[in-house]
Amino acid sequence: MSLHIEGLAWGHSQPGGGWRQLFKDFNLECPTAQFLVVIGSNGSGKSTLLNLVAGTLPAQAGSLKLGERSLQKLSDYRRARWIGRVMQNPLDGTAPGLSIAENLRLAESRRHSPFRLQSLLGIHPNQADLRRYQELLESLGLPLADRVNTPIGQLSGGQRQTISLVMATLAEPQLLLLDEHTAALDPKAEALVMQLTERLVRRLGTTTLMVTHSLEQALNHGDRLLMLHEGQVVGDWSGADKAALSVASLRELYGSAKVQLSDV
Amino acid sequence: MFSLWLGAYNQGLAYAGLALGVYLTLRVLNFADITVDGSFALGGGMAAVLITNNINPAVALIAAVLSGALAGCVTALIHTRLGVNDLFAGILTSTGLYSITLRLMDRSNIPLIGLDFGLDSDADWALALSLVVLGLIALLALLLATDLGLALRALGNNPTMARANGVSGAKGLTIGIALANGLVALAGGLVAFYQGFADVTMGLGSLILGLGAVIVGESICRPRTIPMALAAVVLGSILFRLMIAIALQLGLEPVDLKLVTALLLLGALTLGRLRLPGLADGGRRL
Repeated sequence: MSLHIEGLAWGHSQPGGGWRQLFKDFNLECPTAQFLVVIGSNGSGKSTLLNLVAGTLPAQAGSLKLGERSLQKLSDYRRARWIGRVMQNPLDGTAPGLSIAENLRLAESRRHSPFRLQSLLGIHPNQADLRRYQELLESLGLPLADRVNTPIGQLSGGQRQTISLVMATLAEPQLLLLDEHTAALDPKAEALVMQLTERLVRRLGTTTLMVTHSLEQALNHGDRLLMLHEGQVVGDWSGADKAALSVASLRELYGSAKVQLSDV
Repeated sequence: MFSLWLGAYNQGLAYAGLALGVYLTLRVLNFADITVDGSFALGGGMAAVLITNNINPAVALIAAVLSGALAGCVTALIHTRLGVNDLFAGILTSTGLYSITLRLMDRSNIPLIGLDFGLDSDADWALALSLVVLGLIALLALLLATDLGLALRALGNNPTMARANGVSGAKGLTIGIALANGLVALAGGLVAFYQGFADVTMGLGSLILGLGAVIVGESICRPRTIPMALAAVVLGSILFRLMIAIALQLGLEPVDLKLVTALLLLGALTLGRLRLPGLADGGRRL
């Protein structure tokens, strides 16, 4: 589903006093099935943008629309029915005391509130659920199919993040938000998670917003690349323009935007 | 000696709802709920008032459950809507409940001696209480295996993840805490019936009693599944009662009971910490 952001405003009070208006009249159009990568230095507003879309931060003005559905009046857990999200910390995306299958079941059933009478009618995850999850994990090439009853807390960070990613896409979301979801992983796990990301996004055709600090990821993934600075779009590339970019040219742009390269 | 065992068994079962309620809030929802001190007495008072007004005991117990659930809702609303910390929200409700229970009872103690429950001996009580508690365990185990139960467990386990998967924290906490306090009030009613009186102070230290049962049960059984954990908690409730009965038998003065209970719990907590890393520091395993 397409994402329309119009006139978005958000600011916050600063520790030393005073107000910082990060976003003012921010606009973004993201067509259906586009894989959009967002880069920018710390404080540029990348993660804030995802939080505003997810509803974990309240927008102070503007309109947020997913297709024809207005999001701004819905709280985060309501938006989660259509928006899948993978966070930076693998510990945030899964419940460690619940098994892989239980985590997957929670993600799968998110289209409906768990607090309605129908939620009391069946036992989950049941045998049919377990079989379905095993098939799913196998079809994605994940070696976790025989461990669906294992508590997530016993998995490695990389494994937890792959499960978070599967969970975020399980209920066929209309929008997928990836917030530096490989930042806490070692290079091998990062490669695996990015491979899985690419496969899931392409298979489902989900509109995707991925925030990253990795310029390699920004160049190698996505249909379109956005650079943010101080809450403003300072670069927007797609197609041949995006293909012509290199790590060096991006570094140069970071420099011209007067940002520190320490985190690039 | 046998009557001591049977008495402790019955008391443990009568208190089982308290232990299950504390398990539900503390272990499943990760919410330290002090409302139980108030809702236990409220349940006892409600059941006693109704039964002395010739209401059917089962109806009286159901009314007790509903009153407890309402008390739980109040705590949950104070916490989720007004943003008051979980401990303070529970203390506020249980403090207010003391007056409400006293108003309801109209006096501080209601004797139930001479009422006929159709249970003539401790053995009859044991059978009746066993059936009630087995039913409770089965119902709770089923409930926690549904999508609703899964949502409650996820909420206690990782609230961030639960919200990102469409679970409203406010609704989940309200349902869970109401359910837990309903169970606690049921225990209050059963305890009043079994011991033959309801007293407005009977809830004092309930949280500690429930916590004791949870920890003793978990330390001994180390349950790996939810139904096992529920059974362990009930077993813990019985064992905790037995320890107290033995202490009384050995000449402990009833005045010192609360102190000894606290020391027993401290022992159980330390034991749990030694044997199960993570338990005493709020670690979660289910």
